[in-house]
Amino acid sequence: MADERDPRAERFERYLDALLAGGRPSPEDVESGDEAEMARLAAEIAGAVRDDSAVPDPAFVEQLRLRMRAADAGLATVQVPPPVRERVAEPAGHRPWRLTRRQLLQGGIGAAAGLAAGLIGVTLAPKPPAGSPTLGGGDNLVIGDGFWEEVATLAELPPGAATRFSTAAFDGFVVNDDGEIRALSSVCTHMGCTLHYRPEWQDLRCPCHGASFDLAGQLANGRRTWRANPYPGDARAYPIQLPDLVRPHVKVEDGVILVWTAQA
Amino acid sequence: MSTGPGRFEQVYGQHVVGIYRFVYARVGNRPDAEDLTAQVFVRAVEQLDTAREPGQIAAWLYRVAQNAIADYWRAFYRLPVVGVDHVAPGWEPADDGAQRAAPPDESATLRVQALLGSLPDRYRRVLELRFLQRMSVAETAQAMGITSGNAKVLQYRALRKAALIGETTDG
Repeated sequence: MADERDPRAERFERYLDALLAGGRPSPEDVESGDEAEMARLAAEIAGAVRDDSAVPDPAFVEQLRLRMRAADAGLATVQVPPPVRERVAEPAGHRPWRLTRRQLLQGGIGAAAGLAAGLIGVTLAPKPPAGSPTLGGGDNLVIGDGFWEEVATLAELPPGAATRFSTAAFDGFVVNDDGEIRALSSVCTHMGCTLHYRPEWQDLRCPCHGASFDLAGQLANGRRTWRANPYPGDARAYPIQLPDLVRPHVKVEDGVILVWTAQA
Repeated sequence: MSTGPGRFEQVYGQHVVGIYRFVYARVGNRPDAEDLTAQVFVRAVEQLDTAREPGQIAAWLYRVAQNAIADYWRAFYRLPVVGVDHVAPGWEPADDGAQRAAPPDESATLRVQALLGSLPDRYRRVLELRFLQRMSVAETAQAMGITSGNAKVLQYRALRKAALIGETTDG
């Protein structure tokens, strides 16, 4: 056979190369129904070869088990929701809190419920509440007992900046998205890995499988929008849709950013 | 709650390995297999009634996995509805729910062996070198005494041929 090159074969090799390297192949490298059949067959052949990947990684099994345990425990709480109050009377003054072990445990339960709510795709905070356009939190999370906790000052958070915070109920980021202050959970809704902030892309990025969330807490590099509008921070679409990040309620008072900390 | 605490986790422990292997045999790579496995159990924790018979639970989980795999491939076809009837037969689990002890998908392995065996020599050879011996294109080309461009064309044709054969034997 002469040295022939076929653009289809060259492109399809990108699919095979990713597959055989044990990575995540992209549908972008597959251009027709016939090629999809070929890709499916290639995956089946690769999947029939006994190698380490044919059995699940114990770390994956354990991580998913913990995630399921939290979701399972959280669902019991979600199924019997406490009465939802539109606005909660704030505790008098802003007391400095020292957390006891018990409060931490209670916070943990709240966090598990929050995570579960994120997992099952409940949109806790679709839009900022009307009348407070500078706030991006969701009122739905201001339920039951709790208190406002100071996490940062406005001066520390110019537009485009993000800073980590940690309360009894949440680990997350407060972000300044062009003047709008939001609090976002730093727990990826895929497998619970901790997200990090990338200022150059204005996103929260998951180190485990490469999901990127925008500063509204929605998956930024999802397949749904990829074709029309590829996400510049990533070379490939993220293959599955993920629930939005949990968004605890946030408010700004006298230049201080406060996040609502629910107590179970 | 009649199911009691920890019931879901028990189901998870019984089935996670089986579901992973089932998915892996159909997507062929770890990241996607992990994603789809997680999807199955996320659905299960929301919707599965763990008070059901073990056999029903297994059937439910594998049906959800089958659908997740069909959705995954749909993105490759980029067509609204294709793929459900392409999922290989023989996915139904044994009715005792003892997936964990089940052998890893012998039928898929046999099917692949049969498929490779039915290909012309050069086609089989290029796929064996790349898939079984995990050679790169350059290494495969060298082993076969052809150029890298030729090797890519050859593997493309081999897979196209194999897909056609697979279609006719799928029924």
